[in-house]
Amino acid sequence: MQKLADFKLPQFFNYPPYFTLQPVRDTREKQIQLWKELILDYCKSQKIFLIGVEEDFPLFSNSAIDRSLSHEARETFLSAIVGEGRAEWLDKGHRKCLVLWHRIQDWADIILQFVRDNGLEDSVMTVEEIRSGTESLGTELQGIDRTILMRALKLLENKGKLALFKGTSADDEGVKFSV
Amino acid sequence: MGNLFVKKPKITEVDRAILSLKTQRRKLGQYQQQLEKVIEAEKQAARDLIREKRKDRALLALKKKRTQEELLKQVDQWLINVEQQLADIELTSKQKAVFESLKQGNSAIKAIQSEVNLDDVQKLMDDTAEAKAYQDELSAILGEKLSAEDEEDILAEFDNLESQLIVEDMPEVPTTELVPEEPEKMDLPDVPTKAPVASNAETTPTKRKVLEEPLEA
Repeated sequence: MQKLADFKLPQFFNYPPYFTLQPVRDTREKQIQLWKELILDYCKSQKIFLIGVEEDFPLFSNSAIDRSLSHEARETFLSAIVGEGRAEWLDKGHRKCLVLWHRIQDWADIILQFVRDNGLEDSVMTVEEIRSGTESLGTELQGIDRTILMRALKLLENKGKLALFKGTSADDEGVKFSV
Repeated sequence: MGNLFVKKPKITEVDRAILSLKTQRRKLGQYQQQLEKVIEAEKQAARDLIREKRKDRALLALKKKRTQEELLKQVDQWLINVEQQLADIELTSKQKAVFESLKQGNSAIKAIQSEVNLDDVQKLMDDTAEAKAYQDELSAILGEKLSAEDEEDILAEFDNLESQLIVEDMPEVPTTELVPEEPEKMDLPDVPTKAPVASNAETTPTKRKVLEEPLEA
């Protein structure tokens, strides 16, 4: 198996046909399924949150077999993931895609677990601290995309588990937990 | 924090203060990193300048590095102060929480104790002691009477039982004695054919025997 920065690529990545969008419906569906899983797994392992359709995403081309996914193919696969609810288009033109290899609800649960593990109930943290503080080193929350984090925090706020607030204008956004 | 009306936790001034401090901490951390980079760069620049034999420029670079290093020391100190204050706030709020809990506990004890009056308890104990003493006396009196009455009753019952048993015993004896007599009675009719006088003499003594024996028992 090939490796892409510590990530084990599946066998099909080396088969040229998989890089062409298949016309036959059944084959295409199987192809889409494989690519969906590959993209999600890869993003999860590399902690990638954003995919630009036009960009040089490592998965989109395999130089060993001299093949790369066409724009249409990329869009098809990403749309399939969006359809499943594991991603979102950030713009109407389908150029940027926010990958939710954890759903927003999953992220919310991860945050709650994080708060419990570190005894942060009834305490105040800055949003930046959640992303890059000492407590989140080594957890899933390290380096999480800000948009996704804010969404998850808003979700928890609606449930009453925390409150988002701002101090003076110079301060970070703050979160007060009360799980 | 437990308020029924508001779903989310309330933000207090303390929270804002903590937020401010944490933000400051992060920003100071970033400033530290920035200074470290500049120091490194100046060191490198000084090295290069010395190599190029431009002593005065090199000295300048070193002076700049020195200023940055002083600044870094100060930022380190500020950072320590910020961390210290954060820890103090945390400690104080915990102290307050403990104090509140103890206060609540104290009120609870007072409330329960107020329901039980000390005088009432004393009165209750006295009443109980009185009742117990009365009971003991009663038992003592009852106990004496019983022993005198008991004796008479028991003796009476004993005599009763005795006479009952005697009456019960008597009827039993005849049944066992009667059985061996019957075959002799059956024989009697035969005897008269030979010597009627002799048989009569025989029967009467036996009859007498039957009548007498129950009385002897």
